[in-house]
Parts: sequence; C-alpha cells; structure tokens
Amino acid sequence: MQEGKLIAALRQLCESEVQFILVGGLAAVLNGAPIQTFDVDLVYSREPANIDRLLAVLRSLDAVFRMQPDRRLRPDRSHLAGGGHLNLLTSFGPLDLLGTIGENLAFADLLSHSREMDVGQGIHVRVLNLDTLISIKEQLGSEKDLAVLPILRRTLSETRKKKHM
Amino acid sequence: MTRSVLRYADAVADSQAPVPDYSEDGVDLTLIRWMLSLTPAERLQFLEERNEEIRAIRELNAGR
Repeated sequence: MQEGKLIAALRQLCESEVQFILVGGLAAVLNGAPIQTFDVDLVYSREPANIDRLLAVLRSLDAVFRMQPDRRLRPDRSHLAGGGHLNLLTSFGPLDLLGTIGENLAFADLLSHSREMDVGQGIHVRVLNLDTLISIKEQLGSEKDLAVLPILRRTLSETRKKKHM
Repeated sequence: MTRSVLRYADAVADSQAPVPDYSEDGVDLTLIRWMLSLTPAERLQFLEERNEEIRAIRELNAGR
C-alpha cells in the first residue's frame, strides 16, 4: 500500500528524531474524534539541537511559507526560535509549526498532557490528550475552534464511558 | 477497514442497555463509538483514505 502524506511527514520527523507533540485536528482524530483535517499541527521543542534537526527535515520536505507560496520563502533558524506560528506548505502537504499554543504553553509544558501513540508502520508520535485540546480550544474561542468543540467533548465523554465498561 | 467495522458491530451487539445514537447537541455518537473502536493507526489510515478521495474529487472537478 502506498504511504499516505500525513504518515510520510510524521515518518520524516520521527526518523530525524525531532521532538514534537501533535496538536490540532490530527491529534483530535488520533484520540478518536470523527473530524476531517488536512494538515499536521505540531508544537516543537525550541532547544537549539532540536531546531537544527527540524530545519533539516524542513529542507528535505521543501517547506515554504504558505502565505505566499509562489515567493518560495523558506523558514530559517530565527523563525523557529521565535516561538510563533509558522504555516508552511511541504511536499507532503500543509504543516503548521507552533512554538507555543493556548496561553503560551510550550513543548515542555505540554509533555505531561500528551502520550505516545503507535500510528502504524513502526512510527510512534506524542499526541496531545483530548482534555487539554478541549481546554485550549475553549481558551482560543474562535468560530473554527468552537464549531468542533461539541464533537471533541462527546468524544471525551464516550472515551471515559468506554474505559469504565 | 472490514475487521474494524466488524469489531464495532460486535461491541454494539454486546451492549445490554439501549444507547442513544445522538447527543442532546446533535453529535452523532455512533460515529464516535466507531472511531473509538479503531486503533490510532487505523484512525490515521481512515483519515488518509478520506483525504485522498476528497483530493481526487477536487482534481476531477478542477478539470471541468
């Protein structure tokens, strides 16, 4: 079977030992929420060595800023160290790199709110848990975030029921 | 996906009490229960397959 774009992007990151936590729609799906998403959102460690590894992966994925893809602007070390949101387009599709999410929560803050998941083909990734994902979306409060909240909340309650069965 | 569909069907058939199909706020709980019957790897595979189908439909429509 041909490898999908999402798992191919995750493979590149994992094989390069980039430290990251999946957040956003893909994290919701991996936690069992029935939603559709097309991009990979992740919070990465801003340790200098990790930024080096991430930059190398971005080069191999031909990553450019999504805002003006025709200009082929590439992210550099200062962008990654800055801690903002980088919306990129790669050879495997959209990739959003987040230095922090919610109320300035960085990789180290989120570690205890994530767990490692086997996503197939020998790839293991850290994924933000549903409780935290819901809390962050509640804080953000944008229409896009609010729209998906009922599904996330019900997924969380069904997950808890399943655990007690 | 066949195996996982059957796994969900077994889980539903085994349940004793009737369970609602929709939440009070209109969320399809059967879809959530089906997703939860899958492993994370199967969820990702399903998402990838749907994304590929949507891309294919978009490309077909773009050519019109």
